Amino acid sequence: MADKAVSEEASMEGHAPKLASIPASDNTVWADATPLLEAACQGLTDGELIHGDNFNLFAAMSALEIMDPKMDSGIVCRYYSIDEAIENGVAPIPISLDSTVDVQCTIDIMDHLLACEAAWHTGHSLAQTVFSCIYLLRLDRTASHALLHSYCRVTRATCKAVVSVVSDARTHEEEDLFTMTYGLPLNGDGDEKCLSMLNTVEETISRQLRVCKAASSKRSSVDLEPLQSNPNLEEGFCKALLCRLRFRKRPQGRGLELARKHIASCISELESILNSAEFLRSCSAESCEDDIEDKTTASGREPIGFDATLNSRLSAPTPPRAIKILSWKKAIQYFLKLLRHLDVICSYSLDPNLESLLHFVVQFQKSQPDLVSRAHLQLLLVQDGKLYGRDPIFTVITKASALPEAAKNHDIQKNEYIVQLGQLVMNLLKILCTNAAWQRRKLGKILQDWRVIYVQLELAFRNEFGEASSSSNDENIRMKIFQHILVWVEEQTYWIAFRFLMLGFELELYSASEYCMVYWYLYAVLIKLAEKTHLKIAVSHDTAKRKGKKRKDSPKELARESRIPPVVLFLQCYICLAEGLTMMLAALRNEIMVLQSPSPFNTEQEKFIQHFELLQRACIPDHVSYPSFKESTTHARFSTLAMYNYFKDAQRIAKEVKSSFSNDPDRLAELRRLEQVAEHNSVALNLICRLGALDPSLKVSFEFSHHPFFATAVVRRS
Amino acid sequence: MKASSKEEEEKVEFEEGEIEYVSYGGEHHLPLIMNLVDQELSEPYSIFTYRYFVYLWPQLSFLAFHKGKCVGTVVCKMGEHRNTYRGYIAMLVVIKPYRGRGIATELVTRSIKMMMESGCEEVTLEAEVTNKGALALYGRLGFIRAKRLFHYYLNGVDAFRLKLLFPRQEVHIEASHGNNDLDST
Repeated sequence: MADKAVSEEASMEGHAPKLASIPASDNTVWADATPLLEAACQGLTDGELIHGDNFNLFAAMSALEIMDPKMDSGIVCRYYSIDEAIENGVAPIPISLDSTVDVQCTIDIMDHLLACEAAWHTGHSLAQTVFSCIYLLRLDRTASHALLHSYCRVTRATCKAVVSVVSDARTHEEEDLFTMTYGLPLNGDGDEKCLSMLNTVEETISRQLRVCKAASSKRSSVDLEPLQSNPNLEEGFCKALLCRLRFRKRPQGRGLELARKHIASCISELESILNSAEFLRSCSAESCEDDIEDKTTASGREPIGFDATLNSRLSAPTPPRAIKILSWKKAIQYFLKLLRHLDVICSYSLDPNLESLLHFVVQFQKSQPDLVSRAHLQLLLVQDGKLYGRDPIFTVITKASALPEAAKNHDIQKNEYIVQLGQLVMNLLKILCTNAAWQRRKLGKILQDWRVIYVQLELAFRNEFGEASSSSNDENIRMKIFQHILVWVEEQTYWIAFRFLMLGFELELYSASEYCMVYWYLYAVLIKLAEKTHLKIAVSHDTAKRKGKKRKDSPKELARESRIPPVVLFLQCYICLAEGLTMMLAALRNEIMVLQSPSPFNTEQEKFIQHFELLQRACIPDHVSYPSFKESTTHARFSTLAMYNYFKDAQRIAKEVKSSFSNDPDRLAELRRLEQVAEHNSVALNLICRLGALDPSLKVSFEFSHHPFFATAVVRRS
Repeated sequence: MKASSKEEEEKVEFEEGEIEYVSYGGEHHLPLIMNLVDQELSEPYSIFTYRYFVYLWPQLSFLAFHKGKCVGTVVCKMGEHRNTYRGYIAMLVVIKPYRGRGIATELVTRSIKMMMESGCEEVTLEAEVTNKGALALYGRLGFIRAKRLFHYYLNGVDAFRLKLLFPRQEVHIEASHGNNDLDST
C-alpha cells in the first residue's frame, strides 16, 4: 500500500534526486517521501502504527529502542571505534616502559583472556568475551611484542579451531551464539605459524629461567637479556609465563593416545598456572584478599586492553546480553573439567558394539559435559556417515541385531528402508550428544520415525516372504536378517522411549502429583523393553544354534538358555521399582488423599495427554492410554500392597544379578543404588501400611536422594 | 516470556476486596503496564512489543489497582499455532509488597477464562526454572512443565515451557480406542 502511494506521488512530481548508486529503472523512479510521511504523521494518533501483514510478535520483539541501554547494542559507551580507543591509550604497546610492569601486565592479559574464553565456552558471544581484547582485535600492532603477540595469535587460532569443531557437529541452536563470528578478525594470515612462534618465545623464556637460576649460583651469562629488570622476581615471572605458554602448545601428530598424553600435560600446566597465583599476588601492589575469588586474573589486578562495549554492536540484532566473565579460578576449573571430559572421550575403546556405545554416551552425559566436549564426542562418533569414521552403519546394525558376522556384506543393505534405518541410527547418536533439554525434545520427535521405519520394514518383510515359504538359501538369509533387525528396531525404540521418560526427571519436568502416571508409563515402557531384549537374545541363540546344528546340545547349554539373561533381570529390577512406586503413589492418593492436584481448568487426563503425547502418537507401547492408567491404579490399596511388596522383589533381583556384572563397575553402582531405593521404599511402605490410614499426622514426601529418577519415600510425623 | 518472582518483602496491609481488577482500557493504561514490567522483569521489551499485545488482544490484558495505584498486570495473546488455537501469557507482574495474596492468580485466571471462552485449546508460557513462585502458581492452575529451554533468557537462565491443556469432549472416545495414527498412514 505504502509502496504504491510513493510511486504514484513520484510519477506526479516527476523530479527525482540524482543518486548514482541505485539508478531508476523502467518501473521505478526516485521520489521525495517527506510530504507523504508528514501527511501520514498527521493522520495517525498516539499508539497507531503503519505495518505490513507480516508484522508479528517476532518483528515487534526485534524492534529496538535507540539509546535505551537495555536494548540498543549500538549505543556508544566509551569509544566510537577501536582506533579511537587505541588513540586514547587503552591498549599501549609496549604495555609499560618498565619491563617488570610490562611482564606483569602481559600475564594479566593472558589470564583475563583465559577467563574470557571460558565465558565464551559457557554461553556468551565471542565478540563480547575473547574479542573484547583490543590486542586481539588489532593483532598486527603487537608484532613488536613477541610474548603478547604469540599468545594472542595462538588464542585466536584456538578459538578458530573450536568454532570449527562446534560448527561441524552442529545439530541445534545452542551453537548459534557460540559460532557467531561475523565482523570478528578470526581468520588472520600466518596463524598456522603461531605454534612455531610460541615455541620460540617459550625457548627464550626457558633460557632466561636457566640463566637466572645459574646467576643465583654466581655464574653469570652475558649473551641473554633477562625477561625483566628485577632479578628477585625473574624466576617467578619466567615460571608463571612458561606454564601459561605451554598450556597453549600442541604436539605434532594424530591419534587418541597422543591426545591423552597432551591432555595430561595440559592438566599439569593448568595446575602450575594455579600455583603461580601466590607469587603473582605477592608482586601485585593492590592486595585485596577478600574478593580475589571474583577476579579475572591471578594477580587480582584489572587487565589492560579490554573493552567489551567496543564490539557489542556486533551482537545485533539481539539486545546486548548481560555478560559476566568467569573469574580466573572458575575459568581454570572450567578448563580442567573440559580436559577431563576430553580425556574420557579419548580413552573410549571405539567399541563397535552399539549397545556399549549407547551406554558409554549416557554415562558420559551424566557428568554434564559442556558444549565443546559434547561436540568433540559427536565428531568422534559420526564421521563420513560411518561410526568412528570406520564402521559402515549397516555393520553396526547387524552387530546390534545379533546377526552373524557374514550378514554385514549382504545385499539387503541397499534396501531403501534399511538405508533409512542407518540414517536414524546416525541421527540418534548425534542427538545423544546434545544437551539434555534439547536431547529430550529430539528423542520425543524421533520416536515417531523409529515406529514408522519398523512398520515399513515389517511390511517389506511380509511382502517378500508372506506367501510361499522359501527354499533357497539366500532367501533364508534375507529372512533371518529381517527378523533380527525387526526385533532390534523395536528394542531400540523402547530404549529411546525409556531415555525420553528418564530425562524428564533430570530436567525436573515432573511435579510430585504427576509421579504416579510417570512411573506407570515408565513401567509400561520397561516391560516392553525387557520383552524385546529377551526376544533378541533368544532369536540370536536360535540362529547360533541352527548354525552349529551337528553339535549336540549339552545339558549345561540348555540350562543357560532357559535362564533369564542378566541384562533382562537388570531391567526387571527397574520394572519392580517402577511398579512399586506407581502402586505406592496410587494408594497414597486413593487412601490418604495426598498428591492430588485438582485444578480449575482441567483434569489429570489432560496432564497425561500432554506428558505422553509423543509416545502415544507413536503407539509406544500399543494399547496404553489414560483409561488403562486409571484402571490399573484406582484400586490400589495399602492392604494389598502389604501382601505383595514389589520393592522386596527389586531388592532380591538386584542382589542376585550383581554377580553377573562383576566386571562392569557402572552397572554394579547402579544396582547398588536400586537396592537402596528398594530397601528404603520397602521400609516406608511397611510403615505407611501399618500406620497410614490411622495416623493423620503422617507426612509422606518423595526425594531423589539415592537415585536420579527412582524416588525414595520419606515418612515424617508432622 | 516472563513472570516476576515472588520473594518475601515488606507487605502492605490490605483487604482482598480492596483490589480492583480492570480489563485493558486504552493508551492511558500503557504507561502503567510498561512501568511495572520494566521494574520487575529482566527482559527488555520495546514499546512495539507492548502495543503488539494490548492493541491486538486488549480483552486478554488486565490490571490490578489498590486505592488507585496499579500493583499488578497480565499481558497475553492468542492465535493459531501449528494447527491449534493457543493462548499465550506474555507477562505477569505483581509488585513485591502485594505478593502472596492471590492477585497474580486472579489476574491470570481472568485471562485464561477469556482464552477458554474464545475457543483456545491450550495456554502456554515460559518461566525461569528458578522462579519457584511462578512455577507453583501455574502448577496450581493445571499447567505442566512440557519442555525445558536451554539458556532461554538473555541472562543465560533456562526456562520451562508451561502448558495448560483444556479438556475436550472427544478426548474420551479417542483415548479409549488408542491412537491409530500409524495404521491410517
